[in-house]
Amino acid sequence: MNKLGTWLLPLRGPLVAIAIGLLAGSIAILVAGGSIAQTYTEMWKGAFGSFYFFTGTLARATPLILVAMGAAVAFRSGFFNLGAEGQMAFGGLSAALIGLHMPGPGWFVCIVAMLGGIIAGGLWSAMAGYFDVRFRVNLLITTMLLNYIASLFAGYLVTYPFKDKTGSAAMAQTQMLEHAVWLPKLFKGMTVHAGFILALAAVVILYVYLARSVKGYEARMLGGNPLFAVYGGVRRTSLMLTTMFASGGLAGLAGAAEVLGSQYRYIDGSFASADYAWTGIMAALLASGNPIGSAIGAFFLAALQTGGMGVEFNTDVPLEIGAVIQAVLILFITVKFSWRFMRRKKGAVVDGSAV
Amino acid sequence: MDQLFDLALFSSALRILTPILLAALGGALCARVGLFNVGLEGLMLIGAFTAIVGNHYFENTFLAILFAILCVCAFSLLFAFLSIHLQANVIVVGIAMNFLALGLTTFSLRTIFHVKGAYYDPNMVGLPKWNIPLIKDIPVVGDIFSGHSPLVYLSLVLAGLLWYYFYRTVNGFRFLAAGSNPLAARTIGIHVRRYQYGAMIACGVLCALAGAQLSLGQVTMFTEGMTSGRGFIALVATMLGQSGPLGVLGASALFGFMDAFSIRLQGVSWPSHFTQMVPYVVTIIAMFFFRDKGFIKDAQNAGSSSR
Repeated sequence: MNKLGTWLLPLRGPLVAIAIGLLAGSIAILVAGGSIAQTYTEMWKGAFGSFYFFTGTLARATPLILVAMGAAVAFRSGFFNLGAEGQMAFGGLSAALIGLHMPGPGWFVCIVAMLGGIIAGGLWSAMAGYFDVRFRVNLLITTMLLNYIASLFAGYLVTYPFKDKTGSAAMAQTQMLEHAVWLPKLFKGMTVHAGFILALAAVVILYVYLARSVKGYEARMLGGNPLFAVYGGVRRTSLMLTTMFASGGLAGLAGAAEVLGSQYRYIDGSFASADYAWTGIMAALLASGNPIGSAIGAFFLAALQTGGMGVEFNTDVPLEIGAVIQAVLILFITVKFSWRFMRRKKGAVVDGSAV
Repeated sequence: MDQLFDLALFSSALRILTPILLAALGGALCARVGLFNVGLEGLMLIGAFTAIVGNHYFENTFLAILFAILCVCAFSLLFAFLSIHLQANVIVVGIAMNFLALGLTTFSLRTIFHVKGAYYDPNMVGLPKWNIPLIKDIPVVGDIFSGHSPLVYLSLVLAGLLWYYFYRTVNGFRFLAAGSNPLAARTIGIHVRRYQYGAMIACGVLCALAGAQLSLGQVTMFTEGMTSGRGFIALVATMLGQSGPLGVLGASALFGFMDAFSIRLQGVSWPSHFTQMVPYVVTIIAMFFFRDKGFIKDAQNAGSSSR
């Protein structure tokens, strides 16, 4: 195969999936009685139409990228961490409580609040990792179930002990943070905030960690072939606990950045209804855990969602058109996994070892 | 304590366990042929929605359920094609299926019924409540087991039938063989893929019934994301029950009971947040005691370990 071909090969899967996703979207638009060209134009305008919409997409992408990084670091090491929603809720709530109750200069409180978010999300996630390595309780299921427990517990805290009683609204939420604690906006009057810079930094750090560091190599080895990695002296237990802490910590940071940078308070259920956690996990799946690919995926999915809002505003097609395209896309992106899987299967026959 | 435990509690537990049991039996079928189906939640949600759509158009609950079964089977066939023929990662396909279900049902709710959040039509007739002639007159048993929708009884019968199929028929034996050692099964001429497709289709039927029980059984309405994690609980019930029909029945009964109990606890002024947490906490605790080692092997057979 020529050089261009080998370079394009990894892109073939995503491109085919995007094409099928847009095709399914077109069918959905026709069913809803809209015009395909007009709907996709509105979608493009809603996501990138003006500088304001573009920064809105970036703001939307911020938590998605952070969650995607958290999911990616776990996937790369061979663990399915599906608990981003609960980790985000705890991260966001911890950041809000620290921001409200800690004395000190605003910038200092803001940094401590973010660290608090990382620690809260990380510990919650590492707990699931501990259950798995110590008691062999399946990680996939525990992380998923811990979502419900975390969201309900955070909901309890903001409904009773830490409820905002100053306003007239009966919403379950904490008080508003002071202005000094807020993450600064990148552009005046735009929604994108300094959390986006943090997200980009996380992408770079994760890329360097996975591609260049010894620990990252061990992690990738563990994900690629666990038996070989353990045979080669990788200590699975400690690597799993640190990986799960990092994974949950990034999700926690996503929640903290969302609270400190755009909502300025923890509102019960606001992360879940925006589907940040699951969309971020999908972005990581989209690029099979490659940090840069996942970040691009997260940006793309954010564009689909903000574009969906533009569609809802200007046409009769509902906003969920974005969700439909997104899901079909993910469904077919897995075909890419199959090529890798078939290669691995051939290898397994050759060496004759039982997995 | 008297107000916490009474016969109505067991009766509502039976009602709540039905969708979990139906979906968990579907999950058990898939797990037995080496497909770990994370998409139960999504399939159930599609079932719940299409049952309401069918009811709206045909004005007949039987046809509505039939319509739901057809629709869900289409999706489970897509699932099967992607994961069996295209060898895609089963867990990723399952997660994507859940999203597709949530997106599609919400989208269709807006385009078909032009409402957001929930669809409710007072003219719509739900599933009938069956009073079983002899049983309803027995004092305690009658209070618990009578007056449910047909699907409640069907789910219990299906659990028994599946047990019979697995352990008392030749075909069921081949089914189990196809899952536990595909290579060996292939050498004696068992069409492994055929059994895998069969399991996925049966799983689709069961999830459609589970969804129909949710949307037509107790209340006749559909709300966005109304399965609210029951598919995942069913998945855990599958694992706890070691993918055996009777074990699955026991695990589903445990969850049904805990759920009914948590609703009851709200009556004694526990904050609802904690009572809603109870089933999930119990599930995690239960997983400490019933570790399904077979699942790890199943997952590895399918080429998609969770660890």
